[in-house]
Amino acid sequence: MRLTRRTRLAGVALVAVGSLVLAACGGGGDEGDSTDAVITSYSVQPQNPLVPTNTNEVGGGNIVDLIFAGLVSYSIDGETELEVAESIESDDNQTWTVTIEEGWEFSDGTPVTANSFVDAWNYGANPENEQLSAYFFYPIEGTSGDGTIEGGGDEISGLEVIDERTFTITLKQAESDFPGRLGYSAYFPLPESAFEDIEAFGDAPVGNGPYDLEALENNVEARLVPSETYPEDGNRPARNGGVTLKFYTDPDAAYSDVLAGNLDVLDQVPPSALTTYENDDIQAFKEAGSPNATITIPSSLPGFGENDEGKLRRAAISRAINREEITDAIFDGSRIPAKDFSSPLMPGYTEDIEGNEVLEFDEAEAQDLWEQANEIAEFDGEFVLAYNGDGPGNREWVEAVVNQINNVLDIGAEPQAFPTFAELRERVTDRSIGTAFRTGWQPDYPSIYNYLGPIFGTGAGSNDGDYSNAEFDDTIQRAAGAQDDEERYELLAEAQAILMEDLPAIPLWNTGIAAAAAQGVENVEFNWQNRPELQNVTK
Amino acid sequence: MWWYIGRRALQAIPVLLGSTFLIYALVFLQPGDPIAALFGEKPVSDAVRDQIAAQYNLDKPFIVQWLLYLKGILTLDFGIAYSGRPVTELLADALPVTLRLAFMALVIEAVLGIAAGFYAGLRRGKLFDSTMLVVSLVVIAIPIFVFGFLMQLVFGVRLGWVPITAGQNAGFRELLVPAIVLGLVSFAYVLRLTRTSVVENLMADHVRTARAKGVSDRDVNRRHVLRNSLIPVTTYLGADLGTLMAGAIVTEGIFNIPGIGNLAYQAILRGEGSTVVSVVTVMVLIYIIMSLVVDLLYAALDPRIRYA
Repeated sequence: MRLTRRTRLAGVALVAVGSLVLAACGGGGDEGDSTDAVITSYSVQPQNPLVPTNTNEVGGGNIVDLIFAGLVSYSIDGETELEVAESIESDDNQTWTVTIEEGWEFSDGTPVTANSFVDAWNYGANPENEQLSAYFFYPIEGTSGDGTIEGGGDEISGLEVIDERTFTITLKQAESDFPGRLGYSAYFPLPESAFEDIEAFGDAPVGNGPYDLEALENNVEARLVPSETYPEDGNRPARNGGVTLKFYTDPDAAYSDVLAGNLDVLDQVPPSALTTYENDDIQAFKEAGSPNATITIPSSLPGFGENDEGKLRRAAISRAINREEITDAIFDGSRIPAKDFSSPLMPGYTEDIEGNEVLEFDEAEAQDLWEQANEIAEFDGEFVLAYNGDGPGNREWVEAVVNQINNVLDIGAEPQAFPTFAELRERVTDRSIGTAFRTGWQPDYPSIYNYLGPIFGTGAGSNDGDYSNAEFDDTIQRAAGAQDDEERYELLAEAQAILMEDLPAIPLWNTGIAAAAAQGVENVEFNWQNRPELQNVTK
Repeated sequence: MWWYIGRRALQAIPVLLGSTFLIYALVFLQPGDPIAALFGEKPVSDAVRDQIAAQYNLDKPFIVQWLLYLKGILTLDFGIAYSGRPVTELLADALPVTLRLAFMALVIEAVLGIAAGFYAGLRRGKLFDSTMLVVSLVVIAIPIFVFGFLMQLVFGVRLGWVPITAGQNAGFRELLVPAIVLGLVSFAYVLRLTRTSVVENLMADHVRTARAKGVSDRDVNRRHVLRNSLIPVTTYLGADLGTLMAGAIVTEGIFNIPGIGNLAYQAILRGEGSTVVSVVTVMVLIYIIMSLVVDLLYAALDPRIRYA
């Protein structure tokens, strides 16, 4: 036989490769059930320095939320509980006095004082610092609509330090659930040392939360260890030996890791696994979530103005959409048809908003409504639905919605794709879009008000459709000034009833939580942000 | 030879200028407002917007942006990403793992491809040859991500032999399966190239002459057939390193390897010109260097080729 040596060589190479594959096996033994176990969770590489006011994306947010503690925190069902604050009080819902509980420290040993908060917020709202989450300060007196300090400068005029443990917050207008905002990361405190070298701080932040950031390895992982300075009676004590956030570029890879038991918690099952994950060898979670999806129809569109004709046409379109069919067929039940403008996760949520039957599919009713509108004025416009093609699943559902509208109303509706989210938003923001478009909202804090005021209030920051209704403005204003929860929820339901009639945006569904945890992992619960409460997870 | 290398290096300059210009133009023409995207759906104050635009030269005309970027490159300053991290740092993070992965894939495809192709060529028409023909057809026909997910599922999840995901500090063990997946398609091409080349050379005059002179089969095959057959394969392998690096993004995604493919992809989504162009510049440099290395290798393989 010719070439024996060479064949042998090739054979050796093959065997070598094979044995390397074999040698790579092993490792990964089971760890016992213990409170010392370190929990691993899915995350992505943070995009910005880890300064709370500069963290507006999930990767950084996951870390910041665990290493800082705010004045309040949220319970699993979205209720607001005092955390660093001893009390947050107001007589008129406009000027709030905050008293800080004694005994709180940053992990560098310095105490958490009134200045820790006020200085951090002043830093965050100062336009010179270009903080990405400055927007969240917009309710406070002395800031402009985008949250930065009015006319520049380095102090928000609505904040005043009274003494070491007390400060006051003056708002632009009464807001009864304002304390609910204060658990959001933009409102976290900063230690004095942060301002000496904010750049160094962004790489190695020092917080007052249940965990300390032990190490941040770019593109690999962030290792968090339980903090020694976090009070034992805090709301969110670490119940495990630490949390390691592993950074992935693709949830598919993370899902494979969960399947093999290499990753404990994945809060976002990839679309490729959505149909099968509940049958895989993992713990599957499927719940309603807080972000919603809506179709905003600007009142400037011909035929869709703020009059009877417009209302009828909007209602007709809403009734022509079969939400159940789309959430089942396209999203495999991972989205839940909307019954209101907020989410079932919000405190005070009710399915019984007056007039919300307009969100139910009814072919005959839709055609009837459209006919009624045509009797007022003939429809010579067009219905185009714009979306961004870079969002997963957007094209599918937009085309399905457009098809449903055409099947029911036969108005030649059409989808229009924009390549990126940025481009769609640019056209929406400068009002040059000239069509209906997809919108969505992720609340800043667990509150129905947050789904209404900033989006549908006259001239509000995210009022993309330029909706304006004095009655709605007034109701929402009264809700903001309400003295107790009951009254507030009632007023919010009233405000939503107005929206059901006007339909400035058509609610479609809420994004559900589709999550996975490895077998043997316990106490996985999801909060109002659809994120797992990692400090409670054990295995 | 040094004169030749110098001339090639000079030729690289217009290539680099042209490619950065093209890519910069494409990123510039990409619709959308990167600053709005940076802030998510929240409103941005005009003052902050202007500051950021000025900081990243977004307020200047395209040509000025490009020239400023070029000026930076000359001083080895590749600009700053929107995250505030220097692009050189991002590259230093992402490049090594991609290089390791691509080199491993290259070695795997070269060794296995040449060995199998050589043997198939010698045994033309026999069982091994036809088997390899079918294998390479199958490998070329099936998309790379199918192999990726399949091997991940079988060897990682089900059998647990190899790590499922690699990460940025991945070593040989973690990168083995991704490298095999990445090298598979090229393996098939190398195999076919080598085989065809060997078959041709077996019928060449100089081989017949060598045999007539009584040179042993082994020596004929090694010195006259294999060596001559390697020239087209070398060309292919040289260009393939760049292709492997640029094409690694699919494999990188499946095995969670945050390499430069992912870096470029994320930067494109953010409209971050400096990062995209820097990645491309590095890739162009790698292509240029590899094609030079290939040309120099010709001389080593074929004594008739001399560079002066």
